[in-house]
Amino acid sequence: MKVIDTSGLQCPAPLIATRRAMKETEEGESFGIITDSKSSFENISRFLKDHGQEFSCEESSGKWILTINKGPTGNISVSPAGYCETPVPHFSKGDFIVAFGSDKMGEGNDELGRHLMINFVLALKDLDKLPVRMVFYNSGVLLGSEDSKAADHLNEMEKMGIELLFCETCVSYYSLSKKMKVGTLSNMFEIAQIMASASNIVKP
Amino acid sequence: MKIDLLEMADGGGCSSKIPALQLEEFLKHLPLPEDPDILVNISNHDDAGVYRINDELALVFTNDFFPPVCSDPYEFGQIAAVNALSDVYAMGGRPVVALNIMMFPSSRLSPDVYAGILRGGYETAAGAGVSIIGGHTIDDPVPKYGLAVIGFVHPSGIITNAGAMPGDSIILTKPLGTGIILAANRLGLASQADISEALASMKQLNKPGADIMKKYGVKGATDITGFGLAGHTLKMARASEVSITLNMKQVRLIGNTLALVEDGCIPGAAFRNLDYIEKDTRFSAGLAYNLKMAACDAQTSGGLLISAAPEIAGQVVDELSETGFHKAAIIGKVTERSEKLLYLNE
Repeated sequence: MKVIDTSGLQCPAPLIATRRAMKETEEGESFGIITDSKSSFENISRFLKDHGQEFSCEESSGKWILTINKGPTGNISVSPAGYCETPVPHFSKGDFIVAFGSDKMGEGNDELGRHLMINFVLALKDLDKLPVRMVFYNSGVLLGSEDSKAADHLNEMEKMGIELLFCETCVSYYSLSKKMKVGTLSNMFEIAQIMASASNIVKP
Repeated sequence: MKIDLLEMADGGGCSSKIPALQLEEFLKHLPLPEDPDILVNISNHDDAGVYRINDELALVFTNDFFPPVCSDPYEFGQIAAVNALSDVYAMGGRPVVALNIMMFPSSRLSPDVYAGILRGGYETAAGAGVSIIGGHTIDDPVPKYGLAVIGFVHPSGIITNAGAMPGDSIILTKPLGTGIILAANRLGLASQADISEALASMKQLNKPGADIMKKYGVKGATDITGFGLAGHTLKMARASEVSITLNMKQVRLIGNTLALVEDGCIPGAAFRNLDYIEKDTRFSAGLAYNLKMAACDAQTSGGLLISAAPEIAGQVVDELSETGFHKAAIIGKVTERSEKLLYLNE
């Protein structure tokens, strides 16, 4: 396997070397890139992901070693940037949105309420028709934080193309800015607009 | 011996600006001063602050400095000054006085280099009708130069990044690609023609653009610098509470910019800008990867992004072209706020 050591080279030379190797390597064959710059490592990783390339990486004593198994790229200069397109849903979306105004479902015991809400999120994923969007406000935003058991499930739904919008004021209020794992921060105007134009709103 | 300033700036191919995401995180913890005479503050991430003196006069106040973007000290001084003055022009103001900001390794570089940088700054400022009336230098391993600038504007004539109106056309006055070309130049990959075009573009004062905007009563504009076309357009859309669609095929590029991107010559700043915009942006399925990265390329001393009513947009472009902005073009349009702030089309 060809390994290119770009240590000591200035950004974006390591990326240029990666690009060249990608063009020169046959599909199914592998090549390696070594860099001693964290930012070059991050940029190369992003570039490879953007081009649908599979790779592994390891770090040892200030060097990053990427091993790339060259997959199909087509003519990447003209191919669309696939990862950021709206994903084509492989399920059908229903005619409704879900509004999470709390991290608890129903009234009564708080612990039970939190437990029920996790189950609700899990069940949502398995519905025949999925919501178009989901909005989160007040303690509902807690569901998207890294501490919540719901976050991974929400993440999966986001990858399925469902838009998750979290009230920014609420995220700040609960000091979650650095802990949010999913979704997009949004303002009250956008949330109000989405709720007002939705055919149906489900509120657990 | 010929001095190459570029050798003084390490890691320069990557941006010297703090990533937008990180900057917004820092800034949001600062209290905003309250004073009815502050007409434009940092809340919309505009190009400069504006402070009202009386009903006829307001001050446009800004500063900007960076490490070398080219080898020649005089040329570096010129570009840094054009770039610093640009923020005043983008707000519809007329720059009047300025102070030098200089960081200089006095033990490593000769006084000639220092003098060359300053001369580039002074002559550019003088050409724009601006007097440099002082400054401040500190010893620092990597040279950096720029200006703090004060300009005048009539309080009713302020142009901001919050002034884009649905229906407006979006005009870009200079071609894109300075970040990519400069990175290629450092690695010896850029052609002489591309380097010359990039340097000429960076040295072009945005003054004619400001005059034309004033003539036509334009309300919304910003200048394109470190956050790239996509980043600054996104900030404009957010501040104006609208959505903006850009058609990347109408965006003019410097020389072989796209071929360099195709070779992987993408500076780190473009990836940071992509990180910044992607949550609020929809990329069309047909948008080529290379054009997307060009939209994210950090510009040094870039053009003005002007939001103009559609009935005057054509004339604005014609007059820009007559004043030397031959690559000015209508590149998009403003719509009512919809799902995303920015729509990047092929």
